[in-house]
Amino acid sequence: MKILVGVKRVVDYAVKVRVQNNTVDLKNIKMSLNPFCEIAIEEAVRLKEKKVADEVVAVSIGPKQATETLRTALAMGADRAIHVMTDLRTDYMELQPYAISQIFEKIVEQEQSDLVLLGKQGIDSDCGQTGPMLAGLLGWPQVTFASKIEADDDGGMTVERETDSGMESIRIPQLPAVITCDLRLNEPRYATLPNIMKAKKKKVDTMIAEDMGIDLKPRNEVLRVFEPPARKEGIMVDSVDSLLDKLKNEAGLLS
Amino acid sequence: MWVSLRNISKIRPWLSFSLKRLSSMVKIHDCLVDELPHIEISTNPYELEAHGRGESYHPIASPSAVVNPSSVDEVIQVINLCSKYQIPIIPYGAGTSVEGHICAIEGGISMDMAKFDSIELYKRNDGILDPMAKVGSGVTKNRLNDEVRHSGMQFVVDPGADATIGGMTACGASGTSAVKYGSMRNNILGLECVLPDGTFVKCGTAALKNSAGYDLTSLITGSEGTLGVITSVLVKLHPIPEHIVSALCVFDDLFKAAEAVAMLKLRDSPLARCELLDKTSISAFNRYSKTSGNSSHEKMEEKPTLFLEFHGYSKKSIEDNIEFVKKICVEDYDALNFTFTSGEEERKSLWAARHNLYYASISLRKGATGAIVTDACVPLSSFARLMTKTAEDIRNLDVVGPCFGHAGDGNFHCVLPVLEDDSEDYLGRLQQVNDNLIRRALEAGGTCSGEHGIGYGKIKYLSHQYGSGGLHMMKL
Repeated sequence: MKILVGVKRVVDYAVKVRVQNNTVDLKNIKMSLNPFCEIAIEEAVRLKEKKVADEVVAVSIGPKQATETLRTALAMGADRAIHVMTDLRTDYMELQPYAISQIFEKIVEQEQSDLVLLGKQGIDSDCGQTGPMLAGLLGWPQVTFASKIEADDDGGMTVERETDSGMESIRIPQLPAVITCDLRLNEPRYATLPNIMKAKKKKVDTMIAEDMGIDLKPRNEVLRVFEPPARKEGIMVDSVDSLLDKLKNEAGLLS
Repeated sequence: MWVSLRNISKIRPWLSFSLKRLSSMVKIHDCLVDELPHIEISTNPYELEAHGRGESYHPIASPSAVVNPSSVDEVIQVINLCSKYQIPIIPYGAGTSVEGHICAIEGGISMDMAKFDSIELYKRNDGILDPMAKVGSGVTKNRLNDEVRHSGMQFVVDPGADATIGGMTACGASGTSAVKYGSMRNNILGLECVLPDGTFVKCGTAALKNSAGYDLTSLITGSEGTLGVITSVLVKLHPIPEHIVSALCVFDDLFKAAEAVAMLKLRDSPLARCELLDKTSISAFNRYSKTSGNSSHEKMEEKPTLFLEFHGYSKKSIEDNIEFVKKICVEDYDALNFTFTSGEEERKSLWAARHNLYYASISLRKGATGAIVTDACVPLSSFARLMTKTAEDIRNLDVVGPCFGHAGDGNFHCVLPVLEDDSEDYLGRLQQVNDNLIRRALEAGGTCSGEHGIGYGKIKYLSHQYGSGGLHMMKL
């Protein structure tokens, strides 16, 4: 089984982003591997360790620094990587899920992958669309928000999903398929130093996004980007009566 | 004295200010605001309380104001101003002190170092991270490790709490990893601080050895905020081990278990972690695991247990190490069984539960919100005797107190949970356990504080521990 994993380079989850010129300011900001993509790579590597898969290929679309993200994926255990080079912003401002899924479609066809694992969403765009769109373009079954993935003996897979109303178990009778990964699927490993050094020698192929014959123009127009309004300062009240009075008459919360 | 102060803390916090303190609080605040208007300062009573509490059994003693400097210059300005008016300054990190370090027992202001949150990493020519980082004193240990999580490196000092690097330096902190990596002292290359006279000082260098001048870094480390305000620390990083295996070893007898550790250390065994838990701790551990929904390990036998960890470059080398240690424990010290696991998730939950033993212990007494945590450290040859005698005391004095700790360093803690309405008699007995423990530790040539620092509760033991000569030198 050959697994393809999408790994996205996004703003680090701990960074407090700033909005500048109607867009998120990316200057000098710390970028990292998208946490859900990290979980996807971990799952792929585990499947390889269980001898269910025999190759894990990591793919990232982005500027030349996206190779750092790919090196992290390689250090975690991916066998080789593909870097789709583009200077377009991948946080929804320029490159959007429809174009991204078409890029993945081309690569999947080229690689003849059996399983595509993606993070459920990018923490910058929060779209969660690439997985389902890719499955649609390929005509493959999809299961999203996987919290457990098991390979069945007959070549199919059983996937558990967490939903707001409970857990559900879905069986994919046969591959190929697309699965997107949720938080509780696994806890990604830390790459050790020797693996990081080994990763430098692993193969990274480069493709140019603009040369792939895909219309990369955004389908949706971003009208406005703004920070949430600052929280209004609370007021101190000095007695319970005063508090009740304000709740009743100013906030309208008590009748 | 400690009993009457506790009564005051039962009254609502802001009422515990006497009028005199109230007026001094206003004075301090005013003069700070007048003369340094650009520096962030707060007198919000909840913030003040939070900065006077810590995680110790000491009563809350809030400072008069909380100052949040954002640069070394601002720190210097505040220090100079406070010098002028003789206002005490208490540097504040994460407030996780268990010895009352941050209690403003003589009034003054709290200098919160939260804005010193920069992390500087260095890359070698081949792109791999240099094994050091310059970290602002307000950065917490977890945040530092998070920042380097994809680099293959980690910051190894792991006290139970998510303390700030500055606070850990000031207290000479350590944790379960000390048996292999040492404490904070062994993991700092240098630091920067501001002295009480406003001088900015750079201590130490990035080199691994330094023979030039007085070892100022070591002087500041463990000085508990009495010699200056630490603004940044140059810490050592270590590679994440390639192979890790955890092991559990159960004994019938606490004494034998502790003696086994002394022998293991005597033989220079390759242990990465070595923790001993008595049977009360195991029972607290079991109950905590159940309630926290942690089902990844079954209930453990309620007997003294060693939690061990091995690191290695290859599976074979770890297997050899485990065999070596297992032989000693089982053949020479009658260990009942020896099990081990390399599963990452099981390992993590085991150590997480060990780190949470403080909270698990408190929950052994329903309604307890705090505890006296003892902390003594002795040479390993006296360790078994000290730990068993303390466990005996606890039994004889009929109090609740699990004992567990860093056996590999000869250091252990008793967590003695305290209830708000405990009788003076019960509190007296708890104090007695602590007093006996410290007395025995000092008699054995050890120290009254292995990791947690002196704070203000243990000052009285220093003269006994070091004698007048030592105290005299400290006062110089």
